[in-house]
Order: sequence, then C-alpha cells, then structure tokens
Amino acid sequence: MGARLGHDGAVARTTPPPPKPRRSTGPKRREAERTARRGVPLWGWAALGAGVIAAVVIGASLLSARGGGGGGEVAGAEETAALLEGIPQSGPALGDPDAPLTLVEFADMQCPFCARWSDQSFARIVQDYVRPGRLRIVFSGMTFLGQDSLKALRAVEAAGRQDRLFHVFHLLMENQGRENSGWVTDELIRSTFESVPGLDVDRALADMDSAAVNDRLAETESAAAEAGINATPSFQLGETGGALDRLQLQSLEPDELSAIIDARLEG
Amino acid sequence: VTDRRLRVAVAAISSLGIAVAGYLTYVRFAGSAVVCPTGGCATVQNSEYADVFGIPVALLGLGAYLAVLATALSGSDAARALGAAVAGAGAAIAIYLVYLQAAVIGAFCTWCLANDAIVVVLAVAAALRLRPSPHPDRGDAPMAGGAGSERMPAWNDSSSPPA
Repeated sequence: MGARLGHDGAVARTTPPPPKPRRSTGPKRREAERTARRGVPLWGWAALGAGVIAAVVIGASLLSARGGGGGGEVAGAEETAALLEGIPQSGPALGDPDAPLTLVEFADMQCPFCARWSDQSFARIVQDYVRPGRLRIVFSGMTFLGQDSLKALRAVEAAGRQDRLFHVFHLLMENQGRENSGWVTDELIRSTFESVPGLDVDRALADMDSAAVNDRLAETESAAAEAGINATPSFQLGETGGALDRLQLQSLEPDELSAIIDARLEG
Repeated sequence: VTDRRLRVAVAAISSLGIAVAGYLTYVRFAGSAVVCPTGGCATVQNSEYADVFGIPVALLGLGAYLAVLATALSGSDAARALGAAVAGAGAAIAIYLVYLQAAVIGAFCTWCLANDAIVVVLAVAAALRLRPSPHPDRGDAPMAGGAGSERMPAWNDSSSPPA
C-alpha cells in the first residue's frame, strides 16, 4: 500500500505493483533440489545403510549365539577337550586309578585363585604327571562363597555322574564371572555341557538336582571339614590309597607343586 | 542448530561412547571383572550374545563409535549419511541388546545400558545432521584441524538457482 500526491494536490491512493514472484531459496528447497538431482535423499541413504548394518549385525549375533559359528561352545572348549582327551575319569577323579600319587584339590567354583590355578597350572600338571599315569587328581568342591558356587558345583558334580567332571570344572573356571553376580546362568551351564564331548546334556541338567549330587555335596563338605580346609584352593598329596598330607603352597605357579610331586615320586 | 554444533555434539557423544565401549573391551580381553554397581554385568558379559562369531560386541561398538567420530570431522554429504547410518544401526542394535538382557539373558549390565543410551542419543544427533542447515554460512564450515579442512561441498553450492 502506498500514497502519492496528485497534480491537484489531492492525495490519491494507489495500489503498488504486486511483488515480483520470487523463488524460495530456503534450505528445504535447496535440499529438495539436490535431492531431485541425486534421486535419493540423504536420509534415504542413511536409513538404508543403518538398516543393512543393523540387519547384518543382529543376524550374525543370532546365528553366532545359536551355534552357526561357534557351535554353541563356551570359551576354552577346544583347549579343554584336547587337554583331557583320552585321560580316564571316574566321578571326581582324573587319571590312572593306579597312579602312584593322588592330589586332592579343594576348590570353590567362584574362587578367583582357583580360577588362576586352573588357568596357570592345571594344564601343565595334567600334561606332565596325569597323562603319563604318575598322578591322579581328585576334585573336592566347596560352596562357601555363595549361591553361584553351589549352582556351579552342582553342574560339576552332575557332569561327574558321566565321568566328565574335569571338563566342566575347567570350563566353568575358564568362564568364571564376578562373585555372586549371577554369572552361573542356566544358559552358561547348558553351553558348558554342550561343549563337553560325549556328555548327555539333558541328563546332566536333570542330575544337577538329583539325590546323587546332593549326596556328593554332603560328602565333599564333610571331607573339607575333616581336612580342616578353610581357604581355596587347598591341596592334599599322598600315595594313592594312603594318607594324604596338606600342602602349603606359596605360589599358584606350577613350578612349586611340580617340585613337590617330583620329590614324592623319587622318594 | 548448525551442522558445526551438531558435529561437536556427535564428536563429544562418540568420545563418551568410546570410553565406555573401550572399558568393556578392555575387561573382556584382560579377563578381569567388570566393576558392576548393580550386578548382572558378568552374566551378560559371559552370555553367548556377548560375542558375534568370536568378536566381542564391545569391540564392535568401539569400532562403530570411532567410525562415527571420524564422520564428525567432515561436513560432506557422505560423512553425514555415513555417520547417521552407523549411529542409526547402533541404536537399532542397542534396542536388540536391551531386549536380550530383559527377555533372554535375564540380567542387566549397567555398563551395557549406559552404552545403549549413549548410542541412541548419538543416533539422534547424527540424524539431525541430515537436515538442511538454516545457517549455511555458519553451519557448513569445516572444523578446525579436521579432515574436512578443505572446502566442503556445502549445500548452498546450489544457492543460485536457475532463473
């Protein structure tokens, strides 16, 4: 709207010319123009990429978890199977029943030092002494650390009913979680059982709460009490069938225990 | 919000994610226990979903954060789209992982939930970068010292439309 003076001095109202139509140059228009040139908007490429990446990763995760790649095995499955392959097991005992020496290990499945022993020394002791038939190891579980200890020990003893105790013992130690965090899940136990060659998984799962396993737990508890065990891992060593001596190890490295075993074998 | 500010936000959120995913990756390879205020971390970390064909999920997350951080150094279309794609995928995977914790594993890992929250926020920030900037002269300038210090193909390259 505007006003100007006419020749007669009167004010004449005029209508200004309509503004020249202008094309919008806003960001949305420019984006639309670029989109028109490219064909696919930027968000389209991003959404497509996100969808593809997510589908690949989630699909791989499901396949991996269901055994598409790892066979449903827990960590250390192959190493444990190789370590124990061909070595006789009978209930809680590993090795030749006629081996000259017997080593009893008292362990809580949640004890971090027991896991360290299992990781650092167990394999070497097995290779150097158990496999050649010079030593047998007997496992005696304890459950003083809490509920996860009990659940894990039930799994270990259930495997012992099928003479696979040391497989499950070693695998659970290998996959040990934080104390009483609930790390001994049904899923972990099943995966562990599935990682043991020749183990009847369903039978082992059923045996975990069996009367036989309950009896074993009572037996190991009284064995620890009789031996005066108040820390884990603790060890007893002696001639097979004879009296056992409590070992006072200063280190969880295999050297000290190896030296003691060597001395007993030579003596 | 200018693209420059969004790039700073994406870089900051990515860095936070790198710290969390880096910690989870470290404890995974070190074999040490996760400091877990609420419990459940070991359960989740030991579950069969913690790895994808032997690669720890935490390591995948770390790689994704690094990738998104790299895209924050550039204002190019490719960087914006790639950053949003990776962060968007991360958010979708985070939702999947939260579902696994709640419905399958039956335990929650505090660190994982924190990581999931970070990646969702990161996805929002990265998605906002896909919008046309209202301040092209301020928003598309390269970050100082960044990989995009050369002139970038800003959206206002086409600011002189044909008459």
